[in-house]
Amino acid sequence: MNRPARRWLPVALLLFAMSATAAESRVTHLEDDNHERVPLNTVAPAYPAAARRDRIEGDVQVCFNVNREGRPYRIAVRSSSNRVFEKPAIRAIRASRYQPLPKDREVPAIKTCRTFRFRLESATAD
Amino acid sequence: MTTARLLPLLLLLGSLAHAQTPAGQAGAVAKTVVGPANADLADGAAALRTGDAEEGVRLTRRGLVTASGQRERVAGYSNLCAGLAMLERLEEALQACNRALQLDDEHWRSYSNRALVYLKQERYPEAERDISRGEALNPNARTLKTLRAMYRDAVDPVSPSIIIDDRRGAEANESTR
Repeated sequence: MNRPARRWLPVALLLFAMSATAAESRVTHLEDDNHERVPLNTVAPAYPAAARRDRIEGDVQVCFNVNREGRPYRIAVRSSSNRVFEKPAIRAIRASRYQPLPKDREVPAIKTCRTFRFRLESATAD
Repeated sequence: MTTARLLPLLLLLGSLAHAQTPAGQAGAVAKTVVGPANADLADGAAALRTGDAEEGVRLTRRGLVTASGQRERVAGYSNLCAGLAMLERLEEALQACNRALQLDDEHWRSYSNRALVYLKQERYPEAERDISRGEALNPNARTLKTLRAMYRDAVDPVSPSIIIDDRRGAEANESTR
């Protein structure tokens, strides 16, 4: 099996109803199973109204640390295709939570990164 | 859905500015004019702004009778078009917009109002044509941006989708548009 395929194999595809901020968006959560910290409550960003109006799609990658209690901190945009998506992405990370670590485990210093992909799908019935 | 229902009203309100200023005063420097030149047109615009379409249409019609000069008439017919559209009297609204554009074919607000009427009538090619004309005359008009979005939503609806990608190696595609 080639390397990329092996890397993406454990991907879990989850579709779930999200918070009120993303009430009108369909949310897909892609994750693999080898992360240091396990998501507990994943908040999806709201699709910015101006971007939706102007039909703009884009990606934002946000990296951050997670403290022992599971709260993200030192949140920073690592890359983005359009600034309009950055604030909603940061807000979503700020509102998200990870599973707390037991006291006997060291808090990893490594940053966690999450990429949000804002997409507009055709709503026309086939 | 509430937003969708309110949108036409917001658009119309954005199209009333002309009658709020007395005719000939826009851009004037040292004219001492107290109060609007055509009180009925100004009051009609104010009524439309507050959502009182019946009163707005009544006052605007009265103001048009005494309107002096092309500028006032154009603003009056454009506002009349807006008010009638609010009342869903779309054919009459269309006539008022056409009248405004006969008097001034570079009045972007009238194109904007007529585009909204066309959208309500589901006459999308005509709506698109008027939106484009309006955009050419006033590329930064927020009203026209909203109309453009309404037009797109009508002919090519989309729904937002958010992908949260926690996979290792996932990166932002910086060229996405």
